[in-house]
Amino acid sequence: MLQKKICLLGAFGVGKTSLTQRFVSSIFSDKYLTTVGVKIDKKAVDVGATPVSLVIWDIAGEDEVSAVRTSYLRGAAGYLLVVDVTRAQTLEVARAIQSRVATEIGDIPFVCLLNKIDIEPWDIAEARIEEVRQAGWTVERTSAKTGAGVEEAFAELAKRIVG
Amino acid sequence: MTAPSIEQELPARVSEEVLRLVGAQRFLAHFVVDEAQVLVRMGGELAHYGLTDLATGTSAADQLPFTEGLLPLFETPFLIRSLEMPSGRIADVHFFADGDVVWIILLDMTAEHDEAQLVQQKAYDMTLLSEREARLIEQLEAANTELTRAHRELAESRDALLVTHNRLRQELLEAEKYVRSCLPAPFEKPFVVDWLFVPTTELGGDSFGYHWLDDDHFALYLLDVCGHGVGAALLSVAANQTLRSQALLRTDFHDPEAVLNAMNRVYQMERHNDMYFTIWYGVYHVPTRTMKYASAGHPAPILVCGPREGRGEVQLLNAKGPILGMLPITRYVAQTFVIPHESRLFVFSDGTCEIGRPDGSMLDQNGFEEILSRPVPAGSSELERLLAMVREMHGQETLEDDFSIMKLEF
Repeated sequence: MLQKKICLLGAFGVGKTSLTQRFVSSIFSDKYLTTVGVKIDKKAVDVGATPVSLVIWDIAGEDEVSAVRTSYLRGAAGYLLVVDVTRAQTLEVARAIQSRVATEIGDIPFVCLLNKIDIEPWDIAEARIEEVRQAGWTVERTSAKTGAGVEEAFAELAKRIVG
Repeated sequence: MTAPSIEQELPARVSEEVLRLVGAQRFLAHFVVDEAQVLVRMGGELAHYGLTDLATGTSAADQLPFTEGLLPLFETPFLIRSLEMPSGRIADVHFFADGDVVWIILLDMTAEHDEAQLVQQKAYDMTLLSEREARLIEQLEAANTELTRAHRELAESRDALLVTHNRLRQELLEAEKYVRSCLPAPFEKPFVVDWLFVPTTELGGDSFGYHWLDDDHFALYLLDVCGHGVGAALLSVAANQTLRSQALLRTDFHDPEAVLNAMNRVYQMERHNDMYFTIWYGVYHVPTRTMKYASAGHPAPILVCGPREGRGEVQLLNAKGPILGMLPITRYVAQTFVIPHESRLFVFSDGTCEIGRPDGSMLDQNGFEEILSRPVPAGSSELERLLAMVREMHGQETLEDDFSIMKLEF
């Protein structure tokens, strides 16, 4: 079976681990437990008629003192860039990470996930979302809590990877 | 000349011991992957990491997912820090290229990971809390700005309303002044006529009047339009003017029932904004001391007979008749009454006798009659005294309805 490595990147606390757990195990916990280092999971999906085994790297989030190690993306076929819609600054962190990955790794497929859409109020204006869309980003709206948009987001990235 | 490294310095026996110690403390495990990315060797504490069902001679990436995409190595050595293994233990994974093969060394870092996670968790929790606090403060400030703006707009609206209110109040006062100017002056001969008119805070629907029809006949009337406000006052003044100027065609103003019948035709409520009124109209014939009168739903005037100094005997000038303006086909019937000497006739509106007390009870007709029948102290104004008593009974200066009363003293 075709095996592809993908990574989840983003600021700390945006829900990368919750999205992975929701996608791989269909579970969600409200308790926030920070990720140190890396967690790797696998899940098989079908892209059209092609079965693909996704090796999912859930990488510790970026904060003010430690940046995401782009070397972890070596060999990755694509990545999910996760943003917390209730914290506007996480979109800026995502933009910085995307820029660094493009410079150091190259233009590999990615999908931006606006996560926690079940929580009001949003801190990100529609105009800002439209701005990144105009910049060529594929944007999906997700909730790891309710599961909304999660399968679709991973499927979208898999489709772009397999081409 | 550079100093020798510690590996060069240490005797082989010591190096082996150090390696043994590290291996024991860090649960050292290892893999060797060849250039075809096939797992060729493995050893050490594999069970500690849950890596037990592996086989050499097959793809490394299929059995060790963390190698996917990393082989061949793009840099050496390469380290994946704190990787969660299938057993739940945390390992630092070191990659070393050695000729055609790659060595992968696993060292247990669970304790360090847990400690780092504890510190990081606290730091992130604090950061998230302070971010949330900052957002809340921002929202509060925005709400405060909005409230301040709303408060300012409210104050501006209030000022504008106050201006409008004052203007309307002034106009109401002007209207009240006009209504008052339509009322005739009191006189004392050949009999005493006096009155008191205290409109409620808003303009009311009471008005009254009297005039000589000829040398012998004296007409008097009091009407009360339903409701309050400018509309009621306008109708009241119009009806009053009709009577004062005797502006009813083919109507004998000496005949109270003819007057009310004609008034009822002219002032039907569907032509007057659904307003109707009560009225008492009487004509006093001086030579015979006869009062002829008719009523359209109005409270019966009270005649108090006897000297002022003593308690009088009460007589009601009753007459039946529906409220004026409600039924187009109505015939009012007049009554007559001979007025005795030393008597006082009071004509009034319902607001004058229906007085609410602070405890919720009302002054009834009998109570009002009793008050009017009391002896009148010499030198005092009977109507002013009545108003003072009514206000005291009501418990406040402002009455709920117009206070209108006429007194004829014979």
